[in-house]
Amino acid sequence: MTFDNLYGRLPVVCRPLPVTRRMLLAGAAAGAASLWSPRGASAQTRIDVTQGTVKPMPIALPDFVGGTPNDGEVGRNVTQVITANLKRSGLFAPIDQAAYIERISNIDTAPRFPEWRTIAAQALVTGRITRQSDGRLKTEFRLWDIATTEQLIGQQYFTVADNWRRIAHIISDAVYQRLTGEKGYFDSRVVFVDESGPKNQRVKRLAIMDQDGANVRYLTRGDDLVVTPRFSPSTQEITYMSYGGREPRVFLLNIETLQREVVGNFPNMSFSPRFSPDGQRVIMSLQQGSNSNLYVLDLRSKAMTRLTETPAIDTAPSYSPDSARICFESDRGGTQQIYVMAATGGAAQRISFGEGRYSTPVWSPRGDYIAFTKQGGGSFGIGIMKPDGSGERILTEGFHNEGPTFAPNGRVIMFFRDPGGSAGPSLFTVDISGRNEQKVPTPGFASDPAWSPLLS
Amino acid sequence: MKFKLPEMKTGLAISALVHAALLLWGLISFAAKPLEAKPSDALPVDIISDKQFSQMTRGVKNAPKDAKPAPLVEKVGTPNPVDDSTAKVTPKKELDATRAEVQPPPPTPEQKPSPAEAKPEKKPEPKVDPIAETLKKEEAKKKAEERAAKAKAEKLEREKKQAQAYDPTKIAALLDKRDAQRHAAAGDHLSMTPGLGKSQGTASVLSQSELDAMRRALRDCWTIPEGAVNASKLVVVIRVLFKRDGSVAAPPVLVQAPASSPYGPAMAESAKRAILTCQPFKMLRQETYELWKDIEITFDPKDMFGG
Repeated sequence: MTFDNLYGRLPVVCRPLPVTRRMLLAGAAAGAASLWSPRGASAQTRIDVTQGTVKPMPIALPDFVGGTPNDGEVGRNVTQVITANLKRSGLFAPIDQAAYIERISNIDTAPRFPEWRTIAAQALVTGRITRQSDGRLKTEFRLWDIATTEQLIGQQYFTVADNWRRIAHIISDAVYQRLTGEKGYFDSRVVFVDESGPKNQRVKRLAIMDQDGANVRYLTRGDDLVVTPRFSPSTQEITYMSYGGREPRVFLLNIETLQREVVGNFPNMSFSPRFSPDGQRVIMSLQQGSNSNLYVLDLRSKAMTRLTETPAIDTAPSYSPDSARICFESDRGGTQQIYVMAATGGAAQRISFGEGRYSTPVWSPRGDYIAFTKQGGGSFGIGIMKPDGSGERILTEGFHNEGPTFAPNGRVIMFFRDPGGSAGPSLFTVDISGRNEQKVPTPGFASDPAWSPLLS
Repeated sequence: MKFKLPEMKTGLAISALVHAALLLWGLISFAAKPLEAKPSDALPVDIISDKQFSQMTRGVKNAPKDAKPAPLVEKVGTPNPVDDSTAKVTPKKELDATRAEVQPPPPTPEQKPSPAEAKPEKKPEPKVDPIAETLKKEEAKKKAEERAAKAKAEKLEREKKQAQAYDPTKIAALLDKRDAQRHAAAGDHLSMTPGLGKSQGTASVLSQSELDAMRRALRDCWTIPEGAVNASKLVVVIRVLFKRDGSVAAPPVLVQAPASSPYGPAMAESAKRAILTCQPFKMLRQETYELWKDIEITFDPKDMFGG
C-alpha cells in the first residue's frame, strides 16, 4: 500500500496503522467506560452518635389473658407483680393501662403495632394463664419489640397454682434480661431481722420474704437476739449469729425444714459469718482478748484455718465471687478501713483512703464493686468502690445507713436505715448508680438484710 | 550507521545544522536572561475535617436575638404608586384656602392700583409720580406677598406630598429598578429566615448542620441500656437506607457488632430501636437525597459517664 502525501508518491512500503478504526472505537469505549465507571470512592456518609439518654424504657403490660374465665384474676395479679417489679427497677416505665388502644384477647396473633406505637410503647408483654386439669397453672407469655415488630421472647411455664408469684418474678427476669442485657434479680428472696416492740425491749426475729416484700415468713421465734443473717449460695440455708444462752453462737438454719445446727461452739465471740461462693466454707472473725482475727471453717471437715494474725480488729469478711480473695474491715492502720487479701491468707492491701471510717464491706456478685458503710462528718453513707479502691462513690447518706447487701445481678443494693428517735429501722434499695432509692415494705421494723442468689 | 539512501544526506545535514543552531541559540539566550518565577505570597492553608468545620461555624443557641430581624434585600416587583386619594384631599383644601386667602387681598389692592395704574396710563409721562410709585410699591409688595403666600401654599403642599411619600411602603416605588446585585450569603435561593446561631446559610450541598441535626435527634431517641453505660467500649455500627420522605426503607442492618459482652445484643437493639423510633427524619432535604439515602451510623456511648 502506498501513501499519497505532500511530497508526492513515495515508494515506501508502509503497513497501514493497525486498524485505525478499531483503535478509535477502543479509545471511544475506554472514554465511555471511564465516564460510566463508578465514581471512585463516593464517600459513604457517616455520622457518629456519641451520646444517648439514660431513661426508663416505656413498656406496655396489658393484663394476662385467662385461658378460662376463672383465670382472669390470676392473670391480673401476675401482671400487677410484673409491672411493679419492672417499675421498681427504675429501668422501665410501664404505661398506664387506661391509655392502651388495642385490647389483647388472643396472644397468638401479632399485635397491632401502629396502635402501640401511638402510645409511645417500645416493648409489649402479652400473656395467657390457663389452669390445667391437674391443678397446675400453665403460663405463656410473649415479649414484642414495637419498633422492629419482632417477637423477642415466647415461653411457657408450668407450676403449682400457689406459686404464681414466682412465675411473675421469672417472667420479669426474662423481660429485664432481654431488654437490658443484665441478668435479672426479681426471682430472689431477702432474709432480714424483723424488729418489734419498744426500743428498749426489742424482739428480734429472723424473717424471710420475696424481694418485693411479699410472702413474709418468720424463721425464729424471737426468744434469742439474732443478728447478721447471711444466705448460703445454695439458697436453702442461712447462717446467723444468735445471742441465746450465755455465749453468742453461729447457727446454720435450713429454710425449708427450719432445722438449725450450731456451726461451731466457739468459746470466743464471733462476728458476721459468711458463706464462700461454693457454699462449702464459712468465713468469720473470732475475738481473742482485745483483738479479733479471721478464720475459715470448712463445713464438712469442721476444720478451722486462721487467716490473719494481727494485733488489730479484723472483722466483717466477704468473699469475691471467684473465691480467690476476700475483703474485710480492719483497724490495723489506726481507724477502720477496708482491706483486700488472698482467700488463703497473706499480706492484706488497704483500699479505702477517704476521710472517715469504712466498715461492713461486701463484694458484688458481679465482682466489679465492693459496697461499704462509711462513717464520717456525723453521718453514715452507703458507697461502692472498685476492688482496687478507685472509683469511690457514695450512693446515699443519712443518719444511720448500714449493712449493704447486693442483689444477685450486682445492680441494686439493699441496706437498712435507722432514722433515730422512737422509730425503728427500715429496709431500702438503691441502684448502684445512686438513683432510684425505694423503701422495701416490711410488716414492722427491719434491719440487717441479706439478699439470696437467684432462685431459678 | 550507514544511510543507504543518498537523497537523505542533504536533508539530514540541513536538519542537523538547524537543530544545532536552535539549541545553541536556546542555550545562549536562556543563559543570558534566565526566567525567574516571581515569588508569590504564601497563603496559609489549614486542612480541617468536616467535624471541625461544623464545630467552628456552629453558632450559639442562646445568642441574643435581633429585636427586629432585618430581612435581606429582596428584589421587589415595581408596583404602581398607589393613588392615595384620601391623603391628597387635605392639602388641596388648604391650597384652596390659601388661594382663597390670597385671592381676596389681591382684588382689593388691585382695585387700588388699578385706578392708580389708570392714572399713570392716562399720563404716559415719565413723570415720577410719588403716589403712583408708592402705589406701585404697594402693588409690588402685595404681589410679592401674594407670591409668598402662593409659595407657602405650594410649600405646604409639597411637604404634605413628601410626608405621604415618606410612607415606607412607597419607597419601593422610588427604588432603583435595576436587578438586585446583592445576593444571599451562599446558595441557590434567598434565605427567608433571620439567622440565630445558624451554622451556615442554606447550601446546595449536604450541609454539616443537617447531619448535626440528625445526630441530635438520634441522641434524644437513643435510650441506652444502663448496664452498657458502665461497660464502655461497646460500639455499634448500623447501616440504614432511607426513603425520600426521611423514613427508613428497610430494617437497619448491623455492620459492626459490639465486642462480645452480655450487653452487646441489648446495645445493638437499642441502636436499631433509636433509628426506627426517630423516623421520619424531616431535617434531611430532598435536594441532597443522593447523599443521605445510605448512611452508616456509629453508636458509641463514650461521651456518657463511662463508669
